Amino acid sequence: MTRIALEHLHKTYPRQDAPALERLSLEVEAHTLLALLGPSGSGKSTILKLIAGIEDPDQGDICFDGCSILRIPAHRRGAVLMFQKAYLFPFLSVADNIAFGLRAKGVRKATIQTEVQRMLDLVGLSEMAHRRPAQLSGGEQQRIALARALVVQPQVLMLDEPFSSLDPAVRQNLQEAVRRIQRELGITTILVTHDRSEALAMADQVALIERGRLVAHAPPQRLYERPPQRQAARQMGIDTFLTGRVTGTTLQSQFGPLTVKEVPCHEGEALYAIRPEHLRLEHEPCAHSLPVTVQSQIYRGDHVEVQVSLGETVLRVRTNAACWSNGKRVFLHLPPEHLFLMEEERPEASRLA
Amino acid sequence: MPRNAEDKLADGGGFARWPAYFGYALLYLLLLGPVVGLVLYAGSTRWFFPDLLPATWTFETFWRQLSNARTQQAIGASLLIGGVVTLLALAIALPAARTLGLERFPGRSLVLLLLFLPTIVPPLATGMGLNIIFLRLGLAGSLAGVVLVHLIPVLPYTIFALIGVFVRYDEGYEQQARTLGAGPWRILWQVTLPLAGPGIAVAALFAFLVSWSQYVLTLLIGGGQVITLPMLLFAAVAGGNPATIAALALIFAGPPLLAIALAARALTERTSTVGQQY
Repeated sequence: MTRIALEHLHKTYPRQDAPALERLSLEVEAHTLLALLGPSGSGKSTILKLIAGIEDPDQGDICFDGCSILRIPAHRRGAVLMFQKAYLFPFLSVADNIAFGLRAKGVRKATIQTEVQRMLDLVGLSEMAHRRPAQLSGGEQQRIALARALVVQPQVLMLDEPFSSLDPAVRQNLQEAVRRIQRELGITTILVTHDRSEALAMADQVALIERGRLVAHAPPQRLYERPPQRQAARQMGIDTFLTGRVTGTTLQSQFGPLTVKEVPCHEGEALYAIRPEHLRLEHEPCAHSLPVTVQSQIYRGDHVEVQVSLGETVLRVRTNAACWSNGKRVFLHLPPEHLFLMEEERPEASRLA
Repeated sequence: MPRNAEDKLADGGGFARWPAYFGYALLYLLLLGPVVGLVLYAGSTRWFFPDLLPATWTFETFWRQLSNARTQQAIGASLLIGGVVTLLALAIALPAARTLGLERFPGRSLVLLLLFLPTIVPPLATGMGLNIIFLRLGLAGSLAGVVLVHLIPVLPYTIFALIGVFVRYDEGYEQQARTLGAGPWRILWQVTLPLAGPGIAVAALFAFLVSWSQYVLTLLIGGGQVITLPMLLFAAVAGGNPATIAALALIFAGPPLLAIALAARALTERTSTVGQQY
């Protein structure tokens, strides 16, 4: 199927100072699902619009299987985009909506009928063929929109936050449906989302986008457990960073000496991080711990998030019990095996921090 | 939602609604009163002061006017001009209104003002100057010239009716159609026009009515060579025979009433199906 390569894409919208995309390069392997994760306004949707041909890049190239597609008009690219809004044509029935793309291709009537029926079965809404879009729920509308996109057998399927306006149960159901169908049909897919858990659950690869740049690109598990640098770590929910020189296995961090397992291979400042669920709070002092003050706690059902202050810095710790009274002095345990080394900071990255 | 609100009003009983009925009655009186007068005039040959109703009751004048070759030619000319003007106006106004409704660009308000001007400036003022230009171009006295000059008062109404459509228009539907493989023409016919359909019907109605009732500009540019229905009507008014005037006025009012009725029916049907979506 189709491998997508974005090469040095640059895009600035008219009457906007900051570029939406800044020389962004990214590859999507054939048959895989890539999630573009990032805060709103980071340029994720722009990437999809450029691939779909709704917008043109100022510079750079987009290739499907090594061939540039920039000269191909949007409707012949075989790249279907699904939006947050279903955009079902209100004046057509559900079946006619699904048939829209096939009619545009000039497919025979009999074929259209069987294909539409097949798609309705695939998304599990066979009995809705003759309804109007207005008679469907939000989740059903997105399912039909998905069927309408898949029926044309696109080379590339792009999903622009298609689940974000749905309620959680429907969303999860639809996420699973999309993942199942994508695997079944092997369509190269790009999913734009600002929901971290959605990206991690659905994607083969996750690309983190921030301010029009690619911050990190890795499989979900690696990105979650070992984000390569500070920006990526923040997007993965990490806010405990330690910097300092390492002598032997001792990190002279800004909070005091700590033992680490991983050792940098060069001299100078090293940057470490630890996931909030790997931090532990103890009532008594123990090895590898720092004294902290409990500031507040938020009950989140499956865990309790405790905010503790360490000097000027506030850190978040995931614990199981809500037995920490505010203002109490406790000890923050940082297991050496969970402190991981990150890439050295580039000057701009440290400015951001 | 609105349906529920209406149900509630209906449940509230007749008392709450009587101001509405009174309003309807007044509206019908104002609309139908003149028509009744016209029918009475057109149906009478002799109707003198003390009589409440015409002494003799015949529609002879009306039928004579309708079967008159001059009247029929004038009806034909008016319908032809109105039809062509409507099509041309839509072809020009659709892209203009789309741009003005969807885009924000420097000088937009100036363009809007310029477009609105023909509705403020009396047609006689522009018509005199245009007459000279049209004479030079050889357009004066021709059907094409009249069609062209009708566009001046017609376009503002058409464009403004359509701007209203495109201000609320969501281009997402077109983008969606494009990525699904639809080319520009397919998008125009199968997405844009159906979505904008009700608004286009209103704009077309405006265009036809403004052209249909045009007198001064037709007279100036047509130069007596192009005879439309309003010109016959004005001539009859100058002649002073009430029966003839009334008969022509009824003929004149017919097609617009028909057009409005059809449009109203089409619009309420369309909006009720489209309305469910929003």
